[in-house]
Amino acid sequence: MKIIQVGLGAWGARGIRKGSEMIRSLERIKRSRVVAGLGAALTVTLLATACTGGSSAPNTAAAKPTELRMLYTTDEANSAAVASLVPQFKEKFGIDLKIDNQPYDALQQKVFSEFASSSSYYDIVVVDTPWAPALVQNLEPLSQYIQNDALNPGTLQSNVGDFIPKVFYDTAVYNADSPIKRYPDPTAKPDVSAIKNAGFDVYGMPIQSNVAVMAYRSDLFNDPTQKANFKAKYGKDLTVPKTWDDYAQVAGFFTQPDKKLYGTTVMAGVGDWATDDFKTLLASYGGDGTLADESGKPAFNTPEGVEALDYYAKLAQSGHVPPGSTSADWGTTAESFGSGLTAMTINYHDLKLADNVKGGTIGYAPVPTGKAAGPHFGTWMLSLNKNSKNKEWAYQAISWLTAAEQQTTMTAKSLHPSRASVFAGIKSDNPLAPFYDTLGKSLAEGVGRARLTNYTEVSHEVAVAVNNAATGASSPSDALKSASDKVSALLKSAGY
Amino acid sequence: MKATAAPLDATLTVDASRRAAGRTTVGARGRKPLTWKKRSTPWVYMAPAMVVLLLMTVAPTIFIFYSAFRNDKILGGVGKFVGLDNFIEAVTNASVQHAFLITFGFVAVAVILEMILGFALALPLAAQTRANKVGAALMLLPFAVTPAVAAMVFKQLLNPNYGWVGYYLGVFGFPKGIDLLGDPTSAWIVLVILDMWQWTPFIALILMAGLQSLPGEPREAAMVDGATPWQMFRHITFPAMVPFIAIAAVLRTIQAFKTFDSFKILTGGGPGESTEIINLGIFRVGLQSFNVGLACALGVVFLIILSLLIPFMLRIIGRRADPEEM
Repeated sequence: MKIIQVGLGAWGARGIRKGSEMIRSLERIKRSRVVAGLGAALTVTLLATACTGGSSAPNTAAAKPTELRMLYTTDEANSAAVASLVPQFKEKFGIDLKIDNQPYDALQQKVFSEFASSSSYYDIVVVDTPWAPALVQNLEPLSQYIQNDALNPGTLQSNVGDFIPKVFYDTAVYNADSPIKRYPDPTAKPDVSAIKNAGFDVYGMPIQSNVAVMAYRSDLFNDPTQKANFKAKYGKDLTVPKTWDDYAQVAGFFTQPDKKLYGTTVMAGVGDWATDDFKTLLASYGGDGTLADESGKPAFNTPEGVEALDYYAKLAQSGHVPPGSTSADWGTTAESFGSGLTAMTINYHDLKLADNVKGGTIGYAPVPTGKAAGPHFGTWMLSLNKNSKNKEWAYQAISWLTAAEQQTTMTAKSLHPSRASVFAGIKSDNPLAPFYDTLGKSLAEGVGRARLTNYTEVSHEVAVAVNNAATGASSPSDALKSASDKVSALLKSAGY
Repeated sequence: MKATAAPLDATLTVDASRRAAGRTTVGARGRKPLTWKKRSTPWVYMAPAMVVLLLMTVAPTIFIFYSAFRNDKILGGVGKFVGLDNFIEAVTNASVQHAFLITFGFVAVAVILEMILGFALALPLAAQTRANKVGAALMLLPFAVTPAVAAMVFKQLLNPNYGWVGYYLGVFGFPKGIDLLGDPTSAWIVLVILDMWQWTPFIALILMAGLQSLPGEPREAAMVDGATPWQMFRHITFPAMVPFIAIAAVLRTIQAFKTFDSFKILTGGGPGESTEIINLGIFRVGLQSFNVGLACALGVVFLIILSLLIPFMLRIIGRRADPEEM
């Protein structure tokens, strides 16, 4: 459920509009009545002849289709930004690009059922990072397309070297025979030949990259009275916190419950958001932020893990976060900060202050660090359906949509680019320039998820541990031990 | 279904031989026994519905049972028969046992409270006055709200920072900024209250219809004999209402076991795993991790427990409904 990882709390942010989407997805769940729906979907699967579309060399003379179909998200990955390019695409290629949008949960079910039935309906499918390990066998490897000059004329050059290395390797580079493996050098400039030589391939192009960034009320941080008070109280200048210790201190300083102001937020409700908060801390305390190692063993029940969770639990119980933080999620925290309730927050997209927050301004900074940096990140990629009948054209569509020029155009609609050159080229007159600057810096240091086919289950167990520690229901070390045991069993049953 | 193609000439010969015999067959009013053709007519009419039913429910159900014994991957890869592995996992896993237990606990508490409250609402509303018609219509509003929307509105109302609930609790002396969803006990209370708000009208509606259909004579006779209102309720109204109570309780129990939206939106199973009902688990395992075998096994276990439970409920209530037992 990296849902909102991205754009928004699918369970809450941006309120009503989001809500209606969520209801649609819930209605869909209800209609399918979970198990019965599964049965029906799978009956179809069973009847469908299981033909795994083989990948053959790209045919550069492939006939041009009249229409390409793409399955995409809603707000989670800024669908409006992608939709705005459709007329331009039609003009350039003479092909209609038909985009179907689905909210997160419904999208995940649709993507998996499309691949389960070896459907060729969608040429291009958007894939969220946690799904990729399970899906990778059904995605067309792109190396031979990227290396085929006929498919990359002039400006269409995919130029994979321009993608932010960490983002590109974490999102799109897999070894299909062993999806748990990671590319050995995640900071090298991406190069298709090197990737192939290492036994990996490229399975998509990153389009929307999300990473934990800190947002703060710059008006409060620049307020002379606040500055003077802080100096008087702690004997140092009030600055945007760079370490977790400073972060806790500044959060304590701003907290004035009688004035309805709290220091910061935590997303300690049970859900992927809590796991992500913990991952970020774990990595910055020097632990393995992916939560599991490449041999399929949990890697969070360590001294670093206990230290990280201990810090988090203390912050959650300090009174420096708004009431209700132990049931908060992506949406709630964005709402808290947006309504002027908190001075800082950590979230995954640019935020807006409500009109009633007089004189409020927002600044962005990378999340604080401990021994290291490792903000949680996850990216959506556009992938090519192995069963598509128009692979060559679909590839060109993917490479055009994710090219630097198009990504730059889409930043006008809040898209989070995945290319270094796009971040470098953002003009200072762009209202979101400070946000993009922080986003680019944070992506370069991000830490992704373990590549597990049942990551959702693992994430759930970790989230339960984080929540139990945050509410004080159990000690951080007990919570982690219990989660680690459960995750071990889960990974064993998944065959790792 | 093949039977519909009965050999036409056969029926004709039968008819012909009967006519040759020159008399109608047995039967008080000279009814002829149904011929093949006539007997198969209802099947012809039912066929479309049967086909739909087979395709939409029977086949998937059989498939669920089949899948529960296998470890199929939905994305290619060969699954194989794994015997009872999925079931063993489903019944031995401590989290799953806990989920089943709290699901039953929730259903029992919610349904009992809804039955009591629903009856209490139905009694005054059963009299057919104009005011009652308006009252009944108003009462149906929560029933008409999509559960997901109701849960989202509740979530906003419960927000400790600007929600009404916290504010009014504060007025009554509770601590300020109380986070009801952050504590297992209060989270359960909230979930049960939301469920009651949503579904009590449904029960009240069934019981109202029941009350309106009761014959008036026994009550009149009791009045003549000078029975108190309590005696009337205890010995006349309530016993006559038992069949309706049984229907309402069974329907609502089945529905309550399917609760999903409110838990998903309000708590997501938290705090910790305290409100992790079985449906949340099945959803996660089946539709997010796509561990189909385990999800089907969980579904089958759930189904077996339910199919044992419902007849048991009917017997308990049904015994009271049998006048011989009274």
